[in-house]
Amino acid sequence: MKLLTHNMLTSHVKGVTKGYPLLIKATEVKVNEVEFQPQFVSRMIPKLEWSALIQAAEGLGYLQDLPNAPISNYENNEEFLRKVHRVLLEVEVIEGCLQCPESGRQFPISKGVPNMLLNEDES
Amino acid sequence: MSADGRCVRYYCTAGGGMHTFLAHELKRKLRATEVEHIPGRVFFRCSSDLQEVMQLKSAERLFLLLSRAPPISLPKNPAKASHVIQQSIVGDPDNWRHALFTWNLLQVEIRHAQARSLKRKRDVEEDKGEGGVSCAAGSERAHTHLGTPEGTHDAPAHRHQGGGNVPAQAAPTFRISCRCSGAVARHYSSQNLSRIIGVAVARELGWKPDLREPTLEVHVYLSDDHSVIGIPLIRHPLASRRYMKHTGLRSTVAWAMTSLCPMKEASVILDPMCGVGTILLEAAQECAHAVFIGMDTEEGQLQKAVENVDTAGQKSRILLVQSSCMAIPLPTASVDVVLCDVPFGRKFSCSVDMPAALPRILAEMERVLCEGGCLIILLSLQLSAQMKKLVNSNALTPQSQMTELDKDPQGKSRGLGMQGPEHSWGTDELALSSLQLQNIHRVSLGSSDGIIHTYTKIQTLKHTHANTHTHDETMSTS
Repeated sequence: MKLLTHNMLTSHVKGVTKGYPLLIKATEVKVNEVEFQPQFVSRMIPKLEWSALIQAAEGLGYLQDLPNAPISNYENNEEFLRKVHRVLLEVEVIEGCLQCPESGRQFPISKGVPNMLLNEDES
Repeated sequence: MSADGRCVRYYCTAGGGMHTFLAHELKRKLRATEVEHIPGRVFFRCSSDLQEVMQLKSAERLFLLLSRAPPISLPKNPAKASHVIQQSIVGDPDNWRHALFTWNLLQVEIRHAQARSLKRKRDVEEDKGEGGVSCAAGSERAHTHLGTPEGTHDAPAHRHQGGGNVPAQAAPTFRISCRCSGAVARHYSSQNLSRIIGVAVARELGWKPDLREPTLEVHVYLSDDHSVIGIPLIRHPLASRRYMKHTGLRSTVAWAMTSLCPMKEASVILDPMCGVGTILLEAAQECAHAVFIGMDTEEGQLQKAVENVDTAGQKSRILLVQSSCMAIPLPTASVDVVLCDVPFGRKFSCSVDMPAALPRILAEMERVLCEGGCLIILLSLQLSAQMKKLVNSNALTPQSQMTELDKDPQGKSRGLGMQGPEHSWGTDELALSSLQLQNIHRVSLGSSDGIIHTYTKIQTLKHTHANTHTHDETMSTS
């Protein structure tokens, strides 16, 4: 699971009102090199929940001194975009789980794919 | 530039209902002219590089057009029929020589391209960092000689040889594959006609029949309305994708669905029932800078999807999550496009009772879509009819929608949305009423037909305002 995926996922357990962001508990993390597309990264930044990304990157130890808010004029800052590219697309949680911040429900991550399926009584 | 720089006349075969998509694609991507269709075939003329023509996504197979003529009627007497065939099917032998000449040129182009892509692959493997692909085509000697092993033999002297302005070329080996229907088919079998035509071509042109491994396969299609002759340019169908390891939905139909949606840079595109990921892979080919999310409940399907995404080299943009379409783990209004092939419950076993689940699935899709977002959904005929009722009744008369949903045997589907317990009939109704039908396309899926519905999510009653129809660029049903 990439942190881009994590940035979009929300807990949808019945009754939960604030299921975002999910807490990451990783047991295996990999960094896979992915082709750097500066334009793509810079177009994605406004769509991201930045604080959730920072929190997730920090938790996994890949923060690379990214600031608490996107820097100004980041479109032209390749160094910054490369760092965002790395945490967003290259850092990957292979095994572990995601935890709902409100209900505590854990969603397993196996072979890089998070399992967000709910039981009958949870949905 | 194709062949020797001239416009080339081609045709493609296309599945049922696909000709509109193909015609649109031809005009958009190749600036093709003389785009015309008959059932199952789309004709066109274009001067694009053959490589580009081979990138067509909504076509099945690609042919060089040799001739397209009015239908013929064949006498019952075989000898007379043979004469008619020589006159109207074979016709002017120079047409055939021209076609062979063009076909040979195009084959050279195909081999150049294959060599290029092989070299490119090697280059990429050897040195990933090196930017820019050198134009190495010229350095690779393509074998222009197309004859079969015995192709060096000269064709028997022929009365037309050298008569036209067609450069002399070795006589190829060939086979005729005839398909016929209607009146012609009542008296002659396809095999019989193939043989008669083959004999006439051999006699008129000096080409050598070879049923097993011919250089050239000539397709002849005779019906009550048309007679079409063409030569396939590549053996494999365009519809079989190099980048797809496991197949689900027909790739052409999956592509057709993606062609209906306005994909922009940084769009978030969701397939909540992605299976092996066919639709998202087709979409990813078309839009370089979007994010694709695929969800499925089945682990087995997702593992195949992972392999597909790897094979296609789309790992960075296609994100896979195991999840149910009835409880999508995404925030409200977070998705620009929802693409979905709703299982028909035939080919793949489906644990959910689709007609009962449809209202809830739609409500979830509607919820995650942002305003102005687009829903493109492939349904069975039955589900299509149900969906029309659901959406119409919502939009027009809330009362009729109530009764419609009251009939729902799984009435418990109410109140199960994201909003929690207060999620009631009222909000359900409001939710679905924001989906506005744009277009309907019927396509063949082989054993059955499917219906593609396209919806735009409009602003709901609360904030009615003009200027919501920003996505009208989709193809019209003309």
